[in-house]
Amino acid sequence: MRAGQIYLIIALGLMASSYLKDKQKTKEAIKATFKILYTIMPVLIFVFVLMGLIQAYVSRETIAAMLGEKTGVMGILYAELVGSIALFLPPAVFPFGGYLHDNGAAYGPIAGFVFTAILIGVTTLPLEIKLLGKRFTIARNILTFVIAFFLALFMGLVLG
Amino acid sequence: MKKLFKNDAFRFLFFSVGITLLIYAVDATKGMIVVRTVYLTFFDVLDIIVAVSVFIGLFQVWVKPATIVKWLGKGSGARGFILVCTFPIFMGGSLFTIFPLLKVLREKGARQGAIASFITAWGGKAPLLPLETQFLGWPFALLRLSLVVLFAFLMGFLMDWVGENPAGAT
Repeated sequence: MRAGQIYLIIALGLMASSYLKDKQKTKEAIKATFKILYTIMPVLIFVFVLMGLIQAYVSRETIAAMLGEKTGVMGILYAELVGSIALFLPPAVFPFGGYLHDNGAAYGPIAGFVFTAILIGVTTLPLEIKLLGKRFTIARNILTFVIAFFLALFMGLVLG
Repeated sequence: MKKLFKNDAFRFLFFSVGITLLIYAVDATKGMIVVRTVYLTFFDVLDIIVAVSVFIGLFQVWVKPATIVKWLGKGSGARGFILVCTFPIFMGGSLFTIFPLLKVLREKGARQGAIASFITAWGGKAPLLPLETQFLGWPFALLRLSLVVLFAFLMGFLMDWVGENPAGAT
């Protein structure tokens, strides 16, 4: 059985137990689920098209040269930069990361990309500044970038 | 048409189809590669995406933001700090959805470090574990998840060390 089918069964089971506990809340949960799907799906499809573009136009060698094993520190920094700038919903980060790995990128740069794509957003900066303050935003984003670098380096070393 | 373009879902789909058609028009072989990649990946993740959406949907309804704020308190003290570095790992959403929640935490007196820890821990994204393991494998996912806790602790300490905004954002 595919892993996805097992998750679906678990999801159905959770829905069912939620329904037994509170029908109203479960209705809300179903609505929320559809809303999430509605938000995520178009972005995912867009990212899949992006993956298709890379598949069609960028060779494995190019990806390996930019993000492969031998790129070391630079590969991680480069991947982090892309992750910081790219407009990525978290669910799209992993398929894209996995895709890069299948095409020659090493685990270190992928980890760097995953960390920054989720935690740093050039597009969310204005909102973060507005809600949490300028000093906080600048410090948090810089620190996140730096620590993500060392963790990615570590992950690259461990996973090889 | 203008109104449609304000809709994110429509915009993403429009550009997806547009780019694919453009590539196809320029070079049919490359166009087919794009279509094939989209098709294969889409059906590869469909069941996982649906399951993950159900997890996040249920979580959102059963654990309300107000509950989270009450639970975490100020994020101070050892217990609060540990909670703030671990609990958000299980939450869904994007940065856009958690910033407003964090503003509330901040107004309730949470320290800067606690807020930063929260954001970092939220980056753990445990609800997306099915996706992560599918594409990057269990070793990657588990190592990353455990490092996220360390990451959150470090961010908490460092952001407190950087100090509060003198102008006072709260």
